[in-house]
Amino acid sequence: MLSPERLSLPGPEYLAQRHVLTYMEDAVSQLLENREDISQYGIARFFTEYFNSVRQGTHILFREFSFIQATPHNRASFLRTFWRCFRAVGKNGDLLTAKEYHCLLQLLCPDFPMELTQKAARIVLMDDAMDCLMSFSDFLFAFQIQFYYSEFLDSVAAIYQDLLTGKNPNTVIVPTSSSGQHRSRLAPSECSPLDGVEASLFYHCLESLCDRSKYSCPPSALVKEVLSSVQRLTFYGFLMALAKHHGINRALGALPDKGDLLLDPPMDQELEKLLSQVSGLSISTPAGSSGDIANLPTRRSPWKPLHHCQKVNIESDGSTDETESSEN
Amino acid sequence: MADRRFLTKLLEALSQDGGKVASLPTIKMASCEKRRSAPAPATGSGLVEPVRAGAGAREPESEAEFLLQSGVTSMVREALLKVLEARPEEPVSFLASYFEKLVLSGPQGGAAGDRHGQQQRLVRALWYVRLAHHSHRTAFNNNVSMAYECLSARGRRKKPGVNGRIYSELLKKICQDGEAPEEVVSFLLRKIQCRDHEAVPFDVFRYGVLSCFVLLEFVAKADTLYNVLDDGSGVADKRVCQAVLDTLEDALGASDFSVPIHYLEAGSKLGPDYLALAMDKALLERKICFSMNREEFLKKATALFIAKVKPID
Repeated sequence: MLSPERLSLPGPEYLAQRHVLTYMEDAVSQLLENREDISQYGIARFFTEYFNSVRQGTHILFREFSFIQATPHNRASFLRTFWRCFRAVGKNGDLLTAKEYHCLLQLLCPDFPMELTQKAARIVLMDDAMDCLMSFSDFLFAFQIQFYYSEFLDSVAAIYQDLLTGKNPNTVIVPTSSSGQHRSRLAPSECSPLDGVEASLFYHCLESLCDRSKYSCPPSALVKEVLSSVQRLTFYGFLMALAKHHGINRALGALPDKGDLLLDPPMDQELEKLLSQVSGLSISTPAGSSGDIANLPTRRSPWKPLHHCQKVNIESDGSTDETESSEN
Repeated sequence: MADRRFLTKLLEALSQDGGKVASLPTIKMASCEKRRSAPAPATGSGLVEPVRAGAGAREPESEAEFLLQSGVTSMVREALLKVLEARPEEPVSFLASYFEKLVLSGPQGGAAGDRHGQQQRLVRALWYVRLAHHSHRTAFNNNVSMAYECLSARGRRKKPGVNGRIYSELLKKICQDGEAPEEVVSFLLRKIQCRDHEAVPFDVFRYGVLSCFVLLEFVAKADTLYNVLDDGSGVADKRVCQAVLDTLEDALGASDFSVPIHYLEAGSKLGPDYLALAMDKALLERKICFSMNREEFLKKATALFIAKVKPID
């Protein structure tokens, strides 16, 4: 529980490491934006609610992308929110394209960049056939890796390219570099029979990357585990393995295990309650996937476009009648 | 007081630093912190200043002015100071409860009735002493003295000081939240309690509070020690437990801790090699295998600790 090194850090470093100032600054600028309301409401109370919502992870709802990716906690909160909001997509067995998943992401964060969604889709689809349909859980776990470890993956891609072209990845000390260089020179392009790079060499590079990096990296013991099971691997093969790794998912701590991804009894109960209320009031709102969304505490206006954008291309694999009935 | 000023300076440097990378309002905040070169350390209830510059302001004031006048600047400063003092593991939760406390203690302050007010003061004192871990000594001492002040202010009747009753109550409350068994706690309390009507000087107060926290930590440590000994099975071998306890006793035992070298001696006696040797020897003894359960182990371990606590007289 106690990590004593935090007590010996200089003050500013401690605050930076825990992102205290990021939140304090954000709180103050939020306060300034709504100063009329807040000065009546009470400033201490505003701060209390702000920090409580940060603690609960609801603070990232409808915020700008730069804020959402500002801290690891924000990223994890965003992933959890995305999962909770659109769980129903996975439950109904709907398969969506990258573009459609992007629509969903934009409902939570209007300026979410398409590039990230595409990168995540590339992990699922192994870099080809970008308009293919993906299941919710495949996309979610790939997206998690891509979003949470974004900077790490960029560096990994650079290292991979270097290894592939036979260059010694610069700034990385690789003990076995001569043999690695030799072999990868034999396989200059991706279409060669020896696909990808040698796993052990790759691991050495990644290990030193993790040591240096100031961004979040997956635990290097787990990376080692992923890489030690194969001889050679491709970039997307590696990312796919990361995305599917239970340990990495657990270490990240935003999402439940894959098996439990669609299970959430308390939420189901609440959903049912809400649905029965809605039908009792005989308001003709679209049920099904929107029910989940209604659980969210805040503004609901942005949800509308979802159903239009989603329905155009839904490929229901016939798993549920629920999807059918909710359409009518 | 000296380190408080130091922290303030630190914070000032820090907010200027932060301004470079941060958004507009922060720069403004930083600049208004600079202007306030000699901050009066607002304490306690004065923090939540009523916001006068509200809806009916004459002209749109600048953001920095707004922050200054509405008390945001000083509130943020106080909060960051507290964070820096306490260095909590989870600063966000820490800040959430810090501000919550401000809301609660703010408007109705000491207006509540005597009985009710005392309860509130107790809760507040408890909050103070828990703000910082006791290993972070200056922060902890600071907070303990805040708690002491908080308890000694007794409504309108001016009879400052903390009496034995409220002191004991505070100690009990501290211990309740740990996982220490009740029996153990009462042993400790018997040693460090004062009589109900007695006035408790600050030294004693601090000593008592600190002892409670150290005890809680000791119990937690002993608990994890047992986890190692029983290897997840729920029962540990009695011989090994006894060996560990004996080693612990030996290390704590005879030595007089006013001499610094004894700390090193105790440390070396508890080193892995020394301990492993003792455990190994215990296992080699051919005796019928008994087991020792967790309660018994904790009781024996804490008894060693409590024996070392100097009683108050």
